[in-house]
Amino acid sequence: MKHFFIAIALLLVAPLSAQQYLTRQGTITFDAGSPLEDIAAKSESASAVYDSETGKLGVQVLMTSFVFKRALMQEHFNENYVESEIYPKASFRGTFSDGRAVGTLTLHGVSKEIDVPASLSVEGDVAKLHTEFPVSVADFEIGIPKTVANKIDKEAKTTVDCTLKLRR
Amino acid sequence: MSRILSLFALLLSVTNLCAQDDLFDLLDESVPETQTVFATFKGTQLINAPTNETPGKGVLQYVIAHRFGSFTDDYLYNFFGLDNAQIRMQLDYGITDRLNIGIGRSSVLKVADSFVKYKAFQQRTGANAFPFSLTLNSSINYRAARYTDGIDHDRTDRISYYHTAIFARKWSPSISTLFSPGLVHWNTVPGRDDPNTTLHATLGGRIKLNKRIALTGEFSLMNNSTLSDGSTFTVPGGVGIDIETGGHVFQIHLSNTRAMSNPYWLSRNTFSALDGSLLLGFNISRVFTVR
Repeated sequence: MKHFFIAIALLLVAPLSAQQYLTRQGTITFDAGSPLEDIAAKSESASAVYDSETGKLGVQVLMTSFVFKRALMQEHFNENYVESEIYPKASFRGTFSDGRAVGTLTLHGVSKEIDVPASLSVEGDVAKLHTEFPVSVADFEIGIPKTVANKIDKEAKTTVDCTLKLRR
Repeated sequence: MSRILSLFALLLSVTNLCAQDDLFDLLDESVPETQTVFATFKGTQLINAPTNETPGKGVLQYVIAHRFGSFTDDYLYNFFGLDNAQIRMQLDYGITDRLNIGIGRSSVLKVADSFVKYKAFQQRTGANAFPFSLTLNSSINYRAARYTDGIDHDRTDRISYYHTAIFARKWSPSISTLFSPGLVHWNTVPGRDDPNTTLHATLGGRIKLNKRIALTGEFSLMNNSTLSDGSTFTVPGGVGIDIETGGHVFQIHLSNTRAMSNPYWLSRNTFSALDGSLLLGFNISRVFTVR
């Protein structure tokens, strides 16, 4: 009897680790532009993990991996706005269920609970994650000087597109 | 039986915990740990000396610089030196993120110059760390001003060169320093025994006061400061403030230099801060992304 339970317990371990999906080439874009200034950037090296068993979902991106059209804007973004040297990463840790991603978004050292619509479809070995949501610049204590305040959208439209593969 | 059940429950919870921890740990594993250090300095030049920075790929930069008259030169009569301002204009372009070429024209001795600058190594942190940035910079300078020594000069006599290796390190987000050993070569010198080549070492640094304003300073040493015709040259140096606003960098400074092309401020500077010969000046840069 004892051995039977241990056997079951051991069996349970295997499927738990077999339901994990992972990518290291996820795409995250954001657009905080205005009619006065084109402010948009894209990272193609975001990581995302998803466990279809537990519904746990995690996304993480290195701030310096965001590429802007203008080199100077990229430098200002990292140096003066998100302060990448102090806060190198942005992350989401939470769960996905019923078309919503719920969890903690951490950016610029500030953590906030978010609940945003998302789609996550699992087909065979591949899980596709897509979500779009606004990120309020003020919520994450990212300072915008008054002189450029009318050039920057207070809400950065953020898009996440990741194709995750089953881990074996 | 109950003991077995609790063991079972414990096992389950342990595996569950492991699975959760592992999942988010995977995120950190995948982050490339090596990061290139950026924005060591605000400008491509500190006061007079070039920094390790280049404008970046596809970026056209225009720099306009002024040096006003010395405090010892009839300061009020010359309207705080504005009446005898000297000017340098520079246009340069980033071919890649590391390679930068440009041209310039200074009014002191009507010197035209062209330069090439290359980021050989960039400071990195993390797994594959590298402690400093190294940028190489060379310029060729052509003096267009007429000679007054009565000698017939070849065109090549008018040329001088400056080569330097700029070692820079960003110690923290607000503190950066540079050390740039270099040499100046003059095609013409006044006397037979005067060296054509002089060695130099520039030391400089900046401290950021806030996100957009920084305090800067630099001075340069040289190995030969007197020439056979009796001229002596001083240690060029200065202190300044960098102000950044969007696409502009304003650099306002107090220095003992007037010439703005490299060989002339570095190796042929005659102003001495000890005599009170200080000059106000500024550099303004504007960048345009043309790619």
